[in-house]
Amino acid sequence: MAIVACSTPPGRSGIAVVRLSGKSALGIVKTFVGGGSLKKTHLSPSLVELVDKKRRVFDQAVITQYLSPNSYTGEDLVEISCHGNPIIVSKIIDLCIEAGAEIAEPGEFTKKAFLNGKMDLSEAESVSSIIHAKSLAGVRSGIKNLKGALSGSVIKIKKSIISCVANLEFNLDISEEDLQPNIINTTLEEVKAQIVVLESLTESFKESQFFQEGASIVLAGPPNAGKSTLFNALINKKHSIVTKEEGTTRDVVEKNFLIKQLPIILKDTAGIRGGQSEAEKQGILKSKEEISSADLVIMFNQKPQKPLSKHLYVFNKSDINTTTDNYDIHISAKENKNISKLKDLIYKRLVGDFSLGEVLLTSKRQSRSVLAASEHLKMASVLLKNGDSLELVVEDLNCCIMELDKITNKTSRDDILESVFSSFCVGK
Amino acid sequence: MKRKTNYAVVVVGGGHAGLEAALISHKRGVKTLLVSMDKKSVGRTSCNPAIGGLAKGQMVKEVDVLGGIMGFFADMSTLQSKTLNMSKGRSVWSPRSQIDKKLYEKIAQQHAKAVGLDVFEGEVVGLNIKKNRVCGVKLKGGDEISCNAVVLTCGTFLNGLIHIGKKQIHAGRYGEERSKGITEFLNSIGLTSGRLKTGTPPRIKKSSVNWGAGEEDFGDKNPKPLSYRTKNFKPKDEPCFSFRTKKETHEMILENLHSSAMYSGKSMAKGPRYCPSIEDKVYKFKQNPSHLLQLEPEWTRSEQIYVNGFSTSLSEDVQLKCLQTVSGLERVEFIRPGYAIEYDFFHPSQLKNTLESKAIDGLFLAGQINGTSGYEEASSQGIIAGINASCFVLNEKPLVLKREDAYIGVLIDDLILKDTNEPYRMFTSRAEYRLQLRSSNADQRLLKYAKEYNLLNDETIETLLHKIEKTEQLVKKLNETSIKPVEINERLAFLGENEIKESQKISNILKRPPLTIKDFKIKNTRSKLLNNFMEDEILFEAETLIKYSGYINRQQEEIDKIKVYEEMIIPNNFNYNEIKSISNESREKFINIKPQTVGQAQRINGIRPSDISILLVYLRRPFHVKQK
Repeated sequence: MAIVACSTPPGRSGIAVVRLSGKSALGIVKTFVGGGSLKKTHLSPSLVELVDKKRRVFDQAVITQYLSPNSYTGEDLVEISCHGNPIIVSKIIDLCIEAGAEIAEPGEFTKKAFLNGKMDLSEAESVSSIIHAKSLAGVRSGIKNLKGALSGSVIKIKKSIISCVANLEFNLDISEEDLQPNIINTTLEEVKAQIVVLESLTESFKESQFFQEGASIVLAGPPNAGKSTLFNALINKKHSIVTKEEGTTRDVVEKNFLIKQLPIILKDTAGIRGGQSEAEKQGILKSKEEISSADLVIMFNQKPQKPLSKHLYVFNKSDINTTTDNYDIHISAKENKNISKLKDLIYKRLVGDFSLGEVLLTSKRQSRSVLAASEHLKMASVLLKNGDSLELVVEDLNCCIMELDKITNKTSRDDILESVFSSFCVGK
Repeated sequence: MKRKTNYAVVVVGGGHAGLEAALISHKRGVKTLLVSMDKKSVGRTSCNPAIGGLAKGQMVKEVDVLGGIMGFFADMSTLQSKTLNMSKGRSVWSPRSQIDKKLYEKIAQQHAKAVGLDVFEGEVVGLNIKKNRVCGVKLKGGDEISCNAVVLTCGTFLNGLIHIGKKQIHAGRYGEERSKGITEFLNSIGLTSGRLKTGTPPRIKKSSVNWGAGEEDFGDKNPKPLSYRTKNFKPKDEPCFSFRTKKETHEMILENLHSSAMYSGKSMAKGPRYCPSIEDKVYKFKQNPSHLLQLEPEWTRSEQIYVNGFSTSLSEDVQLKCLQTVSGLERVEFIRPGYAIEYDFFHPSQLKNTLESKAIDGLFLAGQINGTSGYEEASSQGIIAGINASCFVLNEKPLVLKREDAYIGVLIDDLILKDTNEPYRMFTSRAEYRLQLRSSNADQRLLKYAKEYNLLNDETIETLLHKIEKTEQLVKKLNETSIKPVEINERLAFLGENEIKESQKISNILKRPPLTIKDFKIKNTRSKLLNNFMEDEILFEAETLIKYSGYINRQQEEIDKIKVYEEMIIPNNFNYNEIKSISNESREKFINIKPQTVGQAQRINGIRPSDISILLVYLRRPFHVKQK
C-alpha cells in the first residue's frame, strides 16, 4: 500500500512537493506521467508532463525517485515537485488515490520511517515534537470543526447509527426472544434518512473544496451583453477580445484569479442566439456544456420566475441603461462599477461564511470518510431489504461509525453497550 | 512453620475457574494441587442452573477445544438443551444447556478423583513471595505449601458480604464461610483491589407453585452437545416455566424499595447492568408493564426451583410478598431468599495477557477475582491461567489468544486494558471479529493451540483435524462446482428467487439469503470418524463460509493490517516519563496499564493516534541509535 500527501504548506507557492511512499509508488506515478521519460534509477530527477485521466496535460513537474531502502521512509518514495497551485496539487493527489494510494494520516510518513528503522535518536526526538505539533493543530481544527455545521451533523448521524446498532445488538446479543417485529423496517427508515443527510454533507464539502481546487464560474447570456468586458474587469487584464460585434467570443476563454484566497476559474463563453455560423454553433454547444458543469453561472439576464440557485443574475451596462427589473446586482463592467461588490457576492454564493483555516487541511480526508460512511449505509440498506442476516447489517453500520469516527471522536464498543443498557431492560 | 509436600502449581479455589486451571495443569503433567475451603463444594454452580447462552455458549466450545471440561460435564448433566438465536445471524447462534447442578458437581468431583488430581481442604490466607516470585501458599493455621506457581480463583469469597434487605451476613456464598487474608496480603505487596456486587434470586419450593399458570418451555428437538468429546447426546428434556410479573408486583416493589439493600441509601459496590435486580428493572424501566420470570429446576425432578429474573436484595418478607402477587405463585414458599453479595476483586490491568501478575512472577489470577461474572467467563480464564501456570513451571512459551482467535482472547484483552467498574460479562458485540467467532468453528480456530500445548488426546485431535479437512473440501467443492438452471430453478422459484439462465457456481447461488446447502443435494460422504453432530456442523460451517465470505475477507484484511502492531513489544521497563511530547493524561494511562505491545497501547481508551506515533519513535530508540 502506498500513502500520499503534499509535504509543502497549503496555499499558493512557487513549488509544491507531493510525496508518495510505498511499494506501488512508482507504478502509481506512471499512471499520470504523459510526456517525458521517467528515469528508473535512484535519485535521478526527471522532467515530465503530468496528464489527467483524459490524457490532457495539466502541469510540468520534476519527479525524483528514492529507491528502498534509501529513502526517508525506507520504502520506495517518489517526490513530485509541481507548480505550487492548490488545484494542481489536489489533482495529483486525486490521481494517486485513483491509482490505489491512500491519503497519509498525520505523521504517517514519519511512522513508516520508524517502522523501517530509518531514524536515529536525535532525529526521532525532533520528529516526535513535529507530530505533537501537528496533532495539536489537528485538535485545534477539530475544535473549530466542532463549532461548525460539519461536526455537529456528523455527531448527530453517528448518534442515530449507534442507536440503530444498539437496537439490533439488543436483539442479537441480549434478548433471547424473537426479533422485535418492526426492527427491520424502523432500522431501514433510519438508515435511509441518514444516507440523505450524509449526501447533503458531501455537497457541503464542495464549498471547502473550492479553496483547494478552485470554483468554476461561467459568464453566460445573450451575445454582446458585455461578458468579455466583465471577464477582463474581474481578472483586471485584457484577455478576452472585446468588440461591439455579436458573436466575437467563440471558444471558451479561461483564466484563474483569486477572490479572498478563493481560487476562481473564470470562463467566458459564446453568447447564445439563433442563426449562426457553424463555428459559432460549436461555440454555443460548448457554452451549454460549461454552464451545466459550472459551480456558479453569471447570467446576463433578469431573474426568471423560478431563478436557479446556481445562477447569479447580473444587470450590466448600468452606465448607459437603467432598469427596475429583478436582478441580483447592477454593474457596469466597462466603468468598473460595482465589480468588487460583485466579487463579494460571488464569494458569498460559493462558500457562504466559510473561512479558510486548518479545517481545510483535513477536508479531503473527511469528505472521503463521509462518502465511505454513506456507502456502508447503502450496503446496510440493501442487506435489510434483502432480508439478509442482521449481524451483517451491524457489520456495515459499525464500518459507517468507524468512518465517522475519523471526523469526530472514537466510538468504543462500550459506547454501544452503554446505549443498549440505557434503552433496554437487559437481563431476564 | 510446618511444610507440606511440594507442588509445582497450587490452585486456590474449586469453582469453574479453579477446576479448569487445576485439571489442565494436571493433564499437562505438572504436579498440581487444588485447595478448596470445602472439598464437597468443588465444581459448584452457585447461581443459575444453566451453562452456555449468548456469547457464553461460544466460550464453552472454545474452552472445550482447549482441553477444558465445562462443556463435557454440562453435556453429561443436561436437563434441557437449546440453541438460542436461531432466528438471527449464524455467528450469534449460541448453545445453552439447563443442567442438573447436583450431578454436575458430582461428575466434577469424581473426575478430579479419577484423573488423580490432589484436592486439599483448607483456607489459603497468604502467599510466600521471594524476590517478586511466588514460592508457596500460607494456610490458616500456619502450614505452608511450597510451589512454583499459584492460580488464585477466589470467586466471591474474598471478604464476601451478603445483603438481604438490611440484614448482612459474612459469607462467600449462602451458607459458606467467606475467606479473609488474601486481599489484605496482596494489598500489602502493592496490588490494588476494589469491591463489586452481584446477586442471585430466591429458590422456591416446587410444591408451592401452581404450575398450570405458567407457560411450559422445552428444549430443542435435535439438541446439540457443547463438547466435541460427547459422542451420544440424548439429554433429558425437562421443562422450564415462564411466569410474568404484573402491575401489583411492581407497585409493591416500588413501595418497599427502602427495604432493598441497594436502595437503602447505603453506599454499595457496583453491580452489573446486564443482570439487574428486579427492583432495578422496575425502578429504571417503569415503562415495562411486566417482566419475565423463568422457573428452572436446579436438578432432575428437584424440589428446589430457581426463579430466573428475580435477582434481588429486598428483605426476605418483601421478596416473598412481591413474588406472591404473580399469578401462579400466590402460595409460593422459599427454600432460601435472593440476596446480593459484595466481594473483593483485583483490577485486572495489573495482569499480563497470560493472566500472570505483572508484579509477581508465577502468580496467576482467574475468574471473578478479576472482576468478571459468569461461569463461562470464569472457566475461560481458568483454562488459560492453568495452561500458562504450567507453562511457567515448565519454562515454555505462554499461550495468548488474540481477539480474532476467540472470545477468550477478547475477554482477556478487554480485562487487562479496561478499567472495570462493574462485573464484566461477555457479549458477542464486544468482539469486533464476531463473524469469525462462531460456536460452530471453535475447533477450526483453536485446534492448533490444542496441538501445540498438548491439551487434547490424540483421538480427539485426529477427529477434529478430519472434520476441519472435510469442511475445507466441501467449501472448495461449492466454489468450484457449477449447477445447471434445470437443477435448481424449480427450487429458486419455490423460494421466490430469480431463476438462473446459465450454469453458475453453486457458491454464487448459495450466497442468496433464503438458500441453504440442502437445496443443492450435495453428496457428502459420511465418515466413520465423525458423529452426526460433526457432520451437521460441517454442512453449517461450509454454508456460512460461503455466505459470509465477503465480510469474513474484509475482517481478515483488517486483522492483517493491524498485525504488525500486535507483534511490536514494549519493554517491561519502558520509561514513559521520558516522552515529553505526549499529554499527561495519556502518559498516566500508559504508566497505569503498562501495555505489553503497541497493539494493546492503541486499544486503551482515550489514547490518540499521535500518542502512538510518538511512542513508536521512542520504541525505536534502543535499536536504532546511529554509531557515532
